[in-house]
Order: sequence, then C-alpha cells, then structure tokens
Amino acid sequence: MTRKAVLICPGRGTYNKPELGYLHRHHGDKAALFAGFDAQRTAAGQEEVTALDGATRFSVSKYSRGDIASPLIYAASLADAQSLASDIEVVAVTGNSMGWYIALAAAGALSAEDGFTVVNTMGTLMQEQLIGGQLVYPFAGDDWQNDPARKAELLAIVAEIDARAGHDLALSIDLGGMLVLAGNEAGLSAFEAAVPVVEERFPMRLANHAAFHTALQAPVAAEGRKRLAAGMFTQPKVPLIDGRGHVWWPGATDTQALWDYTLGHQVVEPYDFTRAVQNAALEFAPDLFIVTGPGTTLGGAVAQSLVHTGWQGMSGKADFKAQQAKAPSLISMGDDAQRAIVTG
Amino acid sequence: MDRAQIVHQNFLDRVAAGQLPAGASPRSGLAPETAVAVYRAQVLSRALDLTSRAMQKAGEGFYTIGSSGHEGMAAVACALRADDMAFLHYRDAAFQIARADQVPGQRIAWDMLLSFACSSEDPTSGGRHKVLGSKALMIPPQTSTIASHLPKAVGAAYSVGAARRHRPEHQVLADDSIVMCSFGDASANHSTAQGAINTAGWTSVQSIPLPLLFVCEDNGIGISTKTPTGWIEASMAGRPGIKYFKTDGLDLYEAYATALEAAEYVRTRRKPAFLHLRTVRLYGHAGADVPTTYLAKAEVEADEANDPLLHSVRLLAEAGALEPQEALKIYNDTCDRVERIRTEAVTRPHLKTGADVAASLIPPARACAPTNGVPPEKRAETFGSDMRAMDEPQPMSRLINWALTDLMLEHGEIVMMGEDVGRKGGVYGVTQKLHQRFGPDRMIDTLLDEQSILGLAIGMGHNGFLPMPEIQFLAYLHNAEDQIRGEAATLPFFSNGQFANPMVLRIAGLGYQKGFGGHFHNDNSLAVLRDIPGIVIACPSDGAEAAMMMREAVRLAREEQRVVVFVEPIALYPMRDLHEAKDGGWMRSYPAPDQRIALGDVGVDGDGTDLAIVTYGNGRYLSTQAKAELESKGIKTRIIDLRWLAPLPAEALLEATKGCKNVLIVDECRTTGSQSEGLMALFTENGVTSLARHAAGDCFIATGPAYAATLPSKDSILAAALDLTGGAK
Repeated sequence: MTRKAVLICPGRGTYNKPELGYLHRHHGDKAALFAGFDAQRTAAGQEEVTALDGATRFSVSKYSRGDIASPLIYAASLADAQSLASDIEVVAVTGNSMGWYIALAAAGALSAEDGFTVVNTMGTLMQEQLIGGQLVYPFAGDDWQNDPARKAELLAIVAEIDARAGHDLALSIDLGGMLVLAGNEAGLSAFEAAVPVVEERFPMRLANHAAFHTALQAPVAAEGRKRLAAGMFTQPKVPLIDGRGHVWWPGATDTQALWDYTLGHQVVEPYDFTRAVQNAALEFAPDLFIVTGPGTTLGGAVAQSLVHTGWQGMSGKADFKAQQAKAPSLISMGDDAQRAIVTG
Repeated sequence: MDRAQIVHQNFLDRVAAGQLPAGASPRSGLAPETAVAVYRAQVLSRALDLTSRAMQKAGEGFYTIGSSGHEGMAAVACALRADDMAFLHYRDAAFQIARADQVPGQRIAWDMLLSFACSSEDPTSGGRHKVLGSKALMIPPQTSTIASHLPKAVGAAYSVGAARRHRPEHQVLADDSIVMCSFGDASANHSTAQGAINTAGWTSVQSIPLPLLFVCEDNGIGISTKTPTGWIEASMAGRPGIKYFKTDGLDLYEAYATALEAAEYVRTRRKPAFLHLRTVRLYGHAGADVPTTYLAKAEVEADEANDPLLHSVRLLAEAGALEPQEALKIYNDTCDRVERIRTEAVTRPHLKTGADVAASLIPPARACAPTNGVPPEKRAETFGSDMRAMDEPQPMSRLINWALTDLMLEHGEIVMMGEDVGRKGGVYGVTQKLHQRFGPDRMIDTLLDEQSILGLAIGMGHNGFLPMPEIQFLAYLHNAEDQIRGEAATLPFFSNGQFANPMVLRIAGLGYQKGFGGHFHNDNSLAVLRDIPGIVIACPSDGAEAAMMMREAVRLAREEQRVVVFVEPIALYPMRDLHEAKDGGWMRSYPAPDQRIALGDVGVDGDGTDLAIVTYGNGRYLSTQAKAELESKGIKTRIIDLRWLAPLPAEALLEATKGCKNVLIVDECRTTGSQSEGLMALFTENGVTSLARHAAGDCFIATGPAYAATLPSKDSILAAALDLTGGAK
C-alpha cells in the first residue's frame, strides 16, 4: 500500500542562513545531478551551485539575489523530490511562484538539466532587470479563518493605488492567508502607508524580489521566450498543477501551450498558489502534502489554503494543529524531523 | 453482478488481453495529446458513473443516470470552443469534463462528486439537484429529461446575431460563438424537440443567422422502447435549412473530425446543423433499471462489446498516441482517484431547511448602468402624432402601447416576439407602430408555435436581452407552459442563482369579449401560472395602472432578473365607458414615464368599511360599476385591486381590508384553481369571519350571447355583496 502524495515545490525566499549547506547535508548521493548544474553555471561564468551551498558565510544581500537563490532552491528542491521513500506515490506536483519551474522538472515535463536552464535563466533575467518589488500582507484571521471581505477590501486598496499616476501595484500571489503584492516603489510605499501594521512585521518587503507575476515583468517574459526553446518541454510523467489550479495531464499536455503558459501568463499574471493547493487536495485527495525543502516557510500557506477549502473538515489553525498532531498530513522536508517521515 | 461491474471487468480483461473491438482506423486531424485528453475525459466520466452507483448503494449519493456509452461527447466538446454555450443532454458528463480541461483552474471530478452527493457546496445547483452545468464552462443547467431545452437553444443561437445589431449591456456570447444543444434519440420525439428543430429550419431558410448545432446522441433506445432502425436519419437528414452530419460516437477520431466539420459549418455559415452521433447505452437507463428485463441478453452484450472506451484504447494505440497498458493505467488510476475524492466529498454539507432549498428561487439582482433617459426630441420624433394625443384620456390598449414605446426607447435590450406582434401590431393593436419605430429585429414576428416563442425569449435572456414575448391568447399558453414552469422559472433554482432568464411575458387573456371567440379567446384560468415558484404575475385593470405596472415589470426583469407574466385583460383594452355610454369613465391619461406601481402595491378605491371587494382585472371594472349602487343603498364600500396576483401581496391586502366588516372576493377566473382560493385561505387564516367569494363557474366560455353567462357580472356582484352584508342599510 502506497502513500499518495502531492509534492509542492517552494519559491524564492526559502534558502536562508539555516539552509546553507543543505545540498551537502542531505544530498551527498546526488553529485552527478549537481555536477550538471555546476557545469551550466561555470559555462555562464556564474559561481557553482555546490560552491554557493558549501560556503561558510551567508549574506542576505548575496543569497537573496535571483541569480543565486533560484538555482540553489531549484537544486535543493529537486534533490528532495528525488529522495522520497519508495512507498510514496506522487500523484501530482505543484509549486509556488518560482517553484513552478521546479515542479516542471519534478513532474518530468523538463529534464533536470533543462529545468535548471529555465530557472537559472529566469532568475538571472529577473535579477538583471529587477523591475519593482514585492511585499507580503495577511488577510486571514488569527486562527487562519478565511476573510473574503477583508481580502476584497485590500484588493480594492490595491486597485485604487494602481490607478494613481506613477503608481503600479497589483496582486502577485494568492498565498493562503496572505497576499503577495507587487509593484513599483511608489505603489508599494503607498500600500504601506494605507494599511495598519500587523504582527509587527507586515506589510513586509521581500529583499531582492522583483514585481513577479505582474505586467511589469513583460520584458522578462519576452526575453525568456527568446532564450528558452519550447522543444525543452515534454509530457509530464505525473499530473502537474499550475498557478491557476489547472492540471497538465501526462500524455494529454500540449507542450507548446505549457511553454507558452510558463513564459507568458505565469510570469505576467497573478499566481494563485491557494487554488493550486486546493485543487491538488480536491482533485487528488492525497494522504500527504509534501513541501520539499529548502526551508519550511511555505507550509503555513499550504495549511491555510487547505483550511480555506475546508479540507477534511478543518476550519482553522487549531483544527490543523490537532490533525497534524494526530497524523501529520503536511510534511516539510526542510524540517529534519518531518523529513524523516517521507524519506524513509 | 450488475451490468456496470460487468462492463468494468470487461474493460480490464479485454485491454489486458488485447481483445479490442474492430473498427475503422483513426482518422487524421486529432493531435495525440488531444486524443489522450479526450480519452482521459471519457475515463473520468466512466469512473464517476461507477462511483455514483457505489455512492447510492452506500446511501451517500442520489443520482445514477450515467453517461456510459456516450463518452464520445468528449470528442464533440474538443471540437467546440469553451465559450460556445452548451445546453446538455443528461448523459453528457464526458462533454462537461472535456470542456473543463479547456478552462484553466477547474476541479471537475470534485465538483461532479459533490453533485452526486447533493452537497450544498456543489458549485452548479448548490445541492438542489444533480444537473450538468457550470457558469465558467458556459453550460446553463437544466434537467433536459423531456427535451424542453431545445427551444431555448434556438433562442440563444438567434441572440448571437441579434446582439451584433443591438448590444445588450449584459451580453454573454461572443459574436462568433455558436450554441450547442444535445439530446437523445428518444427525446427527439418530444414535441418540444420537433418544434425547435422546425423553428430552426424555418428561421434558417429565411437566411436569418442561427448558429446552432443540434447533437442527437442515438443509442437506439429510450428507457425500454427501441427507436425504429434508421428513424433519426430518416426524419432528420432532409430537414430544410438544417445540414445533417452523421458520425460514430464510438470512434473518438471520427466523432471529433465530424463534429469539427459541423461546428465549422455552423460558425462560418451561421446556419444550424444536426450532428447525428451514434452511441450505445451501457447498463440501462438508470441505477434501478435492469436492461435484461426488456432486452435480450445478446443485445445487451453486443452493446457492451462496443464499449467506446475499448474502441478508444484500440484507436489510440493504432494512432501511436497511447499504448494499451498506459491506457489501462490511466483507467485504474482514475478509478482509484475518484474513489479517494469520494471519501472527502461525501463529508460535505447538505441543504437542510426549506429556506435553504428555496433560497435560489429568485435570482440575485444585477447592476445595470443608469440610463440618461431619452432626449425629448428623440421621444417626440418616435411618438410622432401620438404626442398630441397624450393630453387626452385613452383606453388601456393605447396606454400600454405608449408605455412599451417609452420602455423600448430607454432600454435597447428589449426585444418583443410573438405571433403578429410586428407588422400587424398585435391582434388588438397593442404593439401597433412598434415595428416601424424599432424595426423588425426588435419586433419579431414569429412562427405559430408558442413553445418556440417562449424558447426564443428564454434563450435571448441567456445572452443579456430583455425579452418581452407575447402569447396571443391565454388559452395558447397551455401548450407551451412548461417553457415557463420547467425551464424559465427553474433556471435560477438549478443554477443557484448563477444563471437567469429575465423576461416580461405578455399574455392577452381573460373573458368578457362580447360574443367573440368563445373559450379559446376568452380563457379565464391562470391556475397554470399561479403555483409556479418565483414568478411574478401582474394583471392591470385600467390603462394608467397598466402603464405603471408595465414599467415595474420591466424593472423587475431588467434589474432583478425576474420572470414576470403580465396578463392583459382583452375586454378592457378598448374599454372607454364605466357606467353609461360615452361617459369615458374607464379612460385614463398617460402617466409620466417615471411613474411606477411597485410590486406588491395594491389599489384601493374608496374608504368604506361596510364592505371590501377584493378583486382584479375585469372584476375591478365590474365591481366599480356595482359600487355605485351599493353606496346608494348605504353600503360603504371600498374596492381593492390585487394588481399583483403572485406573489400574493398578503400583508398589503390585510392592511387594505383592516376594519372592514365584510370581505367579498370577486374573481373572474374559475372557482377551482383561481386566485379566490388563495384569497379565501388568506383571509380565513387571518381571522376574517364575514367572508364570501364570487368566482366564475367551473366551465369553459361560450361563444355568442351566453359569452358571460358563467362569469361574474355587475348584477351578480351586487347580489353577492348584498347577500354578504345583509342587504341595504
């Protein structure tokens, strides 16, 4: 009897100081995989991924850069995806934001090398262009309860700010109980001025992040389409759920459309991670939701997304905690104790 | 073992053993990934059928009419665009599943399982009914059990071209979209189906755009009654104005290619087509139906051997799109996946109370852009010489005509349709000049088929128009009333308020035409309307009120998406005098265009407390005549006009009769089934003790001198009033 699992690949911001050395700690057996990535980096005149991971010193300014964070997270996440216990059957794969590129590779729609090419290219392009920025702000209640009215209120503020001259602001990611907003400096600042500070940290700017998933990224999308060939994309081997909640099925995927989405809509339109997780739950009913490493920060958004759809009767944080304590169904591989549950 | 399990086991065994049914080689035109997508939709549809039966056995599910054998419809879906409106046959789960794959973000397995479980979270009907349908997928839900969805499909298709000429504010369909409507071979025999197909041809031969694709899924049997061999082709292949296509729904490549050809024909030529799709029906009509009780086992097994999924496995392999073992894995994985989802879906909540169920009877209001009114010069130009007549009192027919003119001027989305409403201007002249004022595309002279008139209205309502169909005489409503009862009124209910088909249905009716017409032109029963949940019935009794109520009716339809039936008393159309010849007592001045009578407002004439006469329509006119004599006998009388027959304005009626010693109900409709029954119940339940009713006899109306013999008259009302009140004071 297998354990059915949905695999969830994280996005930017998940490789931080505690994750330094992740590849070396967990994936000493995957030297061949990393060698390919390192070769691509070297050929591009970039520092090797294994060297970045093996460094003794972590600095936010360096490791939050798109051309550094993206390949590191990709390598760590994909390596985790390849480390699951033999009784785990992955029934679907999804990801958050940049995690979409990892999901493509984890599902087999891109080879490990081609996936690395895509993620490294897009991460580098975004760093080079670094158009705008992102911030995070919560709308859910303390117990994670969905608050659609508050969400609509915040989005109305966003629309109002965006309509002002010289201001760009838009929804970037639907992230469980949080909204990730993106825009130019004027737009982001105006939002910060318009809403109260919550939990002493929000609205929280994300260092070195650009205005991902908004129209501001159109130049990045255009350049990505020039550099990355559609021929790299193949049929996924397991169902792949994108940032609209759409399922790309093995054998039934139009690979040209998959390329088009990945380097089009996905880059310039909001990413609905919430719906991706909810559709993963409702359409695949897995036993486990496995969030690969690095880091553990995406788990909260996954749990909130599940709570918001009433998955297994959960209506808030307390329900989720109780269920996790009884029989954990959300596993973060970035957490050593939980990791053991799925790596055997 | 039941047939569903036999078919399931056959599939597993035959695919594993390579024993696949013979057939034509795959036609070209279908990309491998699309072919696999079709197969996946077919398999999911099948898995859902199996699970629905298991759910019913477990007491978790409530619907077992399946789509097995009709999975070829997945290929038809792939040949259409996702924004082509589809009115589906109840065996078309595979169509909806395949379409869901064309619209990002859907969760179709989950949604379908919620609908089997009748969960209140079912996104289509909110747990009211197992129906196929989806707002996002442009599939309005209905039950489709008696083919009553075909007339509205004709209407929706007509609306595509109409919207090019007059843009409705709430337009739904793209200019180049087509409408698809599917049904079974047995359902094709319903008069609704025959009428709709006839109307489509009638329209098409006049070169009026009608982008409509009929899809007849021919499985050769209707429950236990076989369709005669070749019947569908023989009866449909030669229809004027409708191009016939025939294909094999067991062959996904063939079905896709032909459906694509048919859809392209409809889309580019803007003409209707009839796609005849061969299917089989696997495991009987529904869960409780055992086909071997009326079919030879060999016949049942012959259909099972032609399982379209087995054909698909063979064709996909021959096309090099999918190996049989991969196809088998998809089947097993899908069955397993659906079972897993089921365990979660069955935990979801259900509707509990009557209020829960009734919550979507009335659709939600919609935001309408405010109009700036009509410029005075435009209005003057439109009315022409009628402007001068507006200062003078006029009979009802003219005041309704003017109200319609003002409403059509203000709201470009109003379209009227009916027999003789256009060039002739209506049998009684109520729509005179509207044809010249607004053109033939807003004043549609239809063919003589009431189902088609109402279907046209319902379909146009789906695309943002505000239809005002006319049924020429009340008696003609009856052969079409299911279009209101079973279709228009149920759409918000079945769709949880997501779809609506607003309209103001005008019906000329009721008795008292002096010697003219007999029963069919003087029908005096509204029973067929008054029990339909959610609809509004209006019945004015004088011209000014008719104009103001018409404005409210249009507001209700336009802003609140209601279905309003506006019953116009024919005998009062030309009525000028009240008490004696030439007194002009029943003519009224045209009320200013901004004046309305709100839904539920009753009319109160007088403040007498000896007697309240509660009535409507002709009853008010006759009661007003009687009132003068009652007053002369010292009986202080008030007359209360219901105006709105449904929903019954109960509070307003109780308020209006408060303090009255006696209440007399005067109802020109028949004793049985008339409003008087509801009124008697209302007043009795609210403690009114001195209460009587005077209604028409339970009889049809005669032609000639006895035309009013069964109806209340001024004298009989007077007698009833005196009887109730104890005579003169």
